[in-house]
Amino acid sequence: MSPEELQAAIEWTSRINLEVYYFWCTAIMILIHAGFMMYEMGASRVKHTLAAGTKNILAFAYMIPTFWMFGWWIYLAMINGFVPDWEAGAAGVPWSDSMGPNLADNATGVFWGAFTLFACTTASIMSGSVIERIRMTAFIILAVVLGSVVWILSASWGWHYAGWMVVDWGYHDFGASGVVHIISGFFALGVLMHLGPRIGKYNADGSANKIIGHSLPMTMVGLMLIVVGFFGFLGGCLFYGGGGPAGIGQWTNIYGMPTTLSAICFNTLMGVAGGMIGAYTKTRDPFWMMSGALCGIISVAAGMDMYYPGLTFVLAFAGGVIGPIAAGYIERMGIDDAVGAVSVHGVCGILGVVFVGIFLGGYPPYAEGVPTITFMGQFKGAIVMVLLGFIPGYALAWVFKAMGILRASDGIQEVGMDVEINATAYPEQIKSNL
Amino acid sequence: MFDSSPIETWEGAEVMFSFAGGAGTHLFFWLAVVLCVVPLYYVMKDEKEHEDKHK
Repeated sequence: MSPEELQAAIEWTSRINLEVYYFWCTAIMILIHAGFMMYEMGASRVKHTLAAGTKNILAFAYMIPTFWMFGWWIYLAMINGFVPDWEAGAAGVPWSDSMGPNLADNATGVFWGAFTLFACTTASIMSGSVIERIRMTAFIILAVVLGSVVWILSASWGWHYAGWMVVDWGYHDFGASGVVHIISGFFALGVLMHLGPRIGKYNADGSANKIIGHSLPMTMVGLMLIVVGFFGFLGGCLFYGGGGPAGIGQWTNIYGMPTTLSAICFNTLMGVAGGMIGAYTKTRDPFWMMSGALCGIISVAAGMDMYYPGLTFVLAFAGGVIGPIAAGYIERMGIDDAVGAVSVHGVCGILGVVFVGIFLGGYPPYAEGVPTITFMGQFKGAIVMVLLGFIPGYALAWVFKAMGILRASDGIQEVGMDVEINATAYPEQIKSNL
Repeated sequence: MFDSSPIETWEGAEVMFSFAGGAGTHLFFWLAVVLCVVPLYYVMKDEKEHEDKHK
């Protein structure tokens, strides 16, 4: 074999490995949606169970074609802000050579698939917070805007090696604490402010009642599936084959900085453990113990490509404690977030982004002329993510509320949202007055 | 039936999805858009009927 043939063989092997890797990351990420579906169904009362699961999975289904229609184009084209770079976006229009089977392009389909699953995750995050009273169609449209527009716009700005936040501020968000979790948590907050609480959540004096879902075991299994899915999610945040300063054959983060799968393994597991222990220590509540796993991962995700595992554990523990505290505060503000998504994803996402600014200063930039990680870069990045998530959610929900299509009527809520989908989760075994 | 192949041989073939480079891609793109929007309309109609029934 000549050196040229050997080089070609190495490059092909690298391409095929990349394709195989993202293919299976995408498949594992689907577990996140199985998990969110179970999580939400378990957190719902019996009469709302199937409506909660159905809306979640329909949003998943809508996210896929819409992300193909315009989501991928937004990622490629919007790196400079709100003005599209038409040339950069050309490969992302749905009739381009890259957006279908192409023997010369092993990458676009698997990257598109992974990013689509990230989009689905953002929609699922909002989905849990609005259960038992949002109308299906309003939710699906909100989910499409969140997943196929807002999240991918944030990714184009802060999760793309040429995104303006990366190039101008040195923004670092390896595992998407900001671009996925802050965005979806604060989008959900904007929606919740117009959607209003479930019937019976608040008393006349403003105090809150605890509305207990019908199956905590189902919720716990669902959350464990989400944890499994996170290995696909965080694995999908790596880039195989490298290039740039890392060279071929080196794992890099999405910015081109070298890292390893081992780094992600260390810190994903330490993040899960720290969050679970922290949340259980704070609450003694099985629901929050499992949600604490998410708090933990999200609080460390932005910097887990470089954190020392002991540091990861401490930060994740802090996230696990702060998550339920923030949820209590949000509840006292009169916002009924049924599963604590605003605190788990929004607040812990802020922690994740800001922790990077505190603990990862001094690392060299990924390319000449790009700023290093700084506290101010991360802090400003978190503010951008909060606003970018909150404003569209708030505005669109306001429009839907004004049109009268956001919230199900009191009558539907009383009889159960399942009546709208003509199905009953447990027809004979459990009384439906729960 | 449709002559949808953009290639005549597998030798050196690259882009090979059906209708590549032709008007068919636009036709099926817009059909896909319609098939996303129309079901939403019917679900919304169904929702309204249920809302009216359970006011």
